[in-house]
Amino acid sequence: MRANPEVLILEDDAETLDELQGHFTRKRFHPLGARSAARALSLLEHNRYSSRPVLAIIDWDLGKAPDRSASSGDVLSRLARELRECPVIVYSQNIDAFNVRSQIQRSHPRALLHDKRDGDASLLERIDRMLDRTVGDLRIHDGTVVVHLPTLDQHHHREAIRLVVHHPDIVTFHSDTATKAVRRFGEWLQSHGSAVRLVSHGNRKYRLSVTATEGASLDLDA
Amino acid sequence: MGDTDAPWMLGVRAPDRSRAILVVTGDGELAVAVRDAVPRGMAVVRDARSDDAAEIARACLPWPWMVVGSDVSVTPGLAAVLRERPVLTLWLGAAPDGLPGHARHFDRPAALLGAVRHACAANVGGMRLAPGSGVELSDGTLLRGATLESLVAAYPGGFALPARTFRAVSEALARHNAGWKAERDGSTRMTLVPSAGVLPP
Repeated sequence: MRANPEVLILEDDAETLDELQGHFTRKRFHPLGARSAARALSLLEHNRYSSRPVLAIIDWDLGKAPDRSASSGDVLSRLARELRECPVIVYSQNIDAFNVRSQIQRSHPRALLHDKRDGDASLLERIDRMLDRTVGDLRIHDGTVVVHLPTLDQHHHREAIRLVVHHPDIVTFHSDTATKAVRRFGEWLQSHGSAVRLVSHGNRKYRLSVTATEGASLDLDA
Repeated sequence: MGDTDAPWMLGVRAPDRSRAILVVTGDGELAVAVRDAVPRGMAVVRDARSDDAAEIARACLPWPWMVVGSDVSVTPGLAAVLRERPVLTLWLGAAPDGLPGHARHFDRPAALLGAVRHACAANVGGMRLAPGSGVELSDGTLLRGATLESLVAAYPGGFALPARTFRAVSEALARHNAGWKAERDGSTRMTLVPSAGVLPP
């Protein structure tokens, strides 16, 4: 699958939203931009069955949003409930305040936090570090392919990109199609003698591991 | 302001099978500190209040790996989880009613956070917590089981629970020649002990 992976961006400032969307377009991602939480929820709903964003960038403070009928907390809660495999970066002017952090983490326990006072450039650098990741002998290139560096062979499926972006976290996949794609990626890693291996945690949960040892995965609770 | 108006739909209440640390406080400050202490990918920190702690505990599947608390009461629903399951229980300050006998008590946040870090980095004879869930044996085998995760993280401590709770762990460790088994120690808690012929680290 070569469709460009989507990135959800919720930012109430039009200029900053344009800048972020341009950044992702240049990196060959497909940005889903929204200036209000209601619009972001609508984008998630309309994309629910066609695709799932590989990353979400959420502005916590939506004072300039044209529509205040929903909050950034609502978007985070939706992401946590329905798109748990999507990494989320939340940024705020008040990210140091424990009550803000607590509200964010109650909405989305896995959200990564970023200080808005560090500026847009700092946020873009952090995003790039996530998306241009190198994990073992794998590297994401142009947001659309995973490259096995020793051979320069490429794997194009978005679920492979999702696993590399998430490393070392576990990713839950929600369809048979996605799970099959992940298994094919695991076979691809094996056939290339990659230092990275796919680890199954059962119940459609997988993660990548960069270890020399190769072992079985057994469920004691089954 | 991003706070949601619908507490019932908060993401922290979503069911999830990843290793979970449930932090129950009145204001969330300790949960923020615990999150900073946990290595990325090791466990999800769930920030609860006394009134939603039992519900969030039920969303941690099969049960929370660890419960941390301070300055709150323990509701009957949460007390039942702590009483019936091998949950590492760390408490800051005065202990409320309802904590199990194996709960650990701390006077200072730094000591509690040190215990959280220690549990995440536990290594018992080469058995270590894998990121997210499960225990990796020294040969790379991943054993997925919440009871084993609790025993490894609590070592050399243990849990005041019936031996039958730990039978599957001992059988799995024997099958894999891990050199360890779950057994009752001198303080009547179930803990990991070396199998015959294996010296402790």
